[in-house]
Amino acid sequence: MKRLTTLFTAALVALTLALSASTFAEGQGYGKQKVVYHINYDNPKQQAGAMRNIQNHINAVGAENLELKVVLHGKGLSLLLEPDALKHTKLKFANATDEMQAKISGLKDQGVAFNVCANTLKGKKINAESDLYDVDKADIVPSGVAELAKLQARGYTYIKP
Amino acid sequence: MRRANGKHVMDNHDLHALLDDELSPADKLALMERLQHDDYRRNALCELRNLKEMVKTAYDDIALPETQENALANTTVGWTRLRVAAASVAASLILVFTTVFTGQLGGEPSRLVLLDPAGKGTRPALPGDEEMRIVFHVSGHDPESSEEILREVESMLTSYGAEGKKLRIEIVAHGKGLAMLREKLSTQKQKIAELSKHFPNLTFVACMNTVKRLRVEQGVIVNLIPEAIPIHSGVAHVVKRQQEGWIYIQV
Repeated sequence: MKRLTTLFTAALVALTLALSASTFAEGQGYGKQKVVYHINYDNPKQQAGAMRNIQNHINAVGAENLELKVVLHGKGLSLLLEPDALKHTKLKFANATDEMQAKISGLKDQGVAFNVCANTLKGKKINAESDLYDVDKADIVPSGVAELAKLQARGYTYIKP
Repeated sequence: MRRANGKHVMDNHDLHALLDDELSPADKLALMERLQHDDYRRNALCELRNLKEMVKTAYDDIALPETQENALANTTVGWTRLRVAAASVAASLILVFTTVFTGQLGGEPSRLVLLDPAGKGTRPALPGDEEMRIVFHVSGHDPESSEEILREVESMLTSYGAEGKKLRIEIVAHGKGLAMLREKLSTQKQKIAELSKHFPNLTFVACMNTVKRLRVEQGVIVNLIPEAIPIHSGVAHVVKRQQEGWIYIQV
């Protein structure tokens, strides 16, 4: 009987150890993440850098563990503005070259959402359907700033690259 | 209503007395015990204490350029340094007192509203409040995005107000971003004045480290617009707000 108790205790200890070890291993990974990236600048190099940051982020955490949104407002909409549409808008840059479009579509394939600010569309005289790369109604949010606040209130971590 | 008002005046009197250390030990103990069961008044006390500290800090900051100039003219640099040192020692003592005292009172960690000089805000933000709190961190000088942010802030304040939801916004300017709050450089003076007047829950905060740095490094004497409320370090303030659970947006 005494031996049985000892055996049982040993098994229990082993089980506890195994369990805590697996918890520890999980803690080493990044787990699930909800993240919002904020872009309100029009420097193409800085924007390309942001796209690279996002790709690296996905590589580290895994697309399946990430809910990642990019919120664009103000000058940041230049990321999606196609070069031949620049003239009739009030933006100073149109950075959606073929190269940038490839990057953006690569990120979208991995589940990244790009949200654009309706206030900016109006203020900068941008037609979302014809001037921007791959934006449909569902991608438009009433206010970029309010969206950033809302997402953070819902547990998204804020990153401004 | 009148009775309630009367009560608040009384309350503030004894809180002031407590802060100024004018109560007898017995009265002090009794008041502290009462405060333990009174969240609202405990927070009022925190507000008062912070207000006192802030006024002191702001006064120190503003008085400095003059004293330094005088000091150079009168070659009494040592004396000025001593005064500054004494002021900082006093400030740290107050800080230590605040920490210890809050700790003694126990209860949940209160989210202090440090910047509320004229009681502009509705009340201290408490954990579990439904109030949305956003801190905007303005670090670059870009008139276009300043204008955009103020427009967005205005529309948020308006829509929250219309829906009866609570919202507190602080716009903290430091480094190059301080231009937004400088008499000479701000492109948004009129808008800021107008918004400040309309929305008591909106505060503009200026980093005094930046003001000092401009003076020391470039000899620039900064004139802030009247709506700007000075704080020692803009960055530290923004960090504090994030730790308190405020939403953070960098402009």
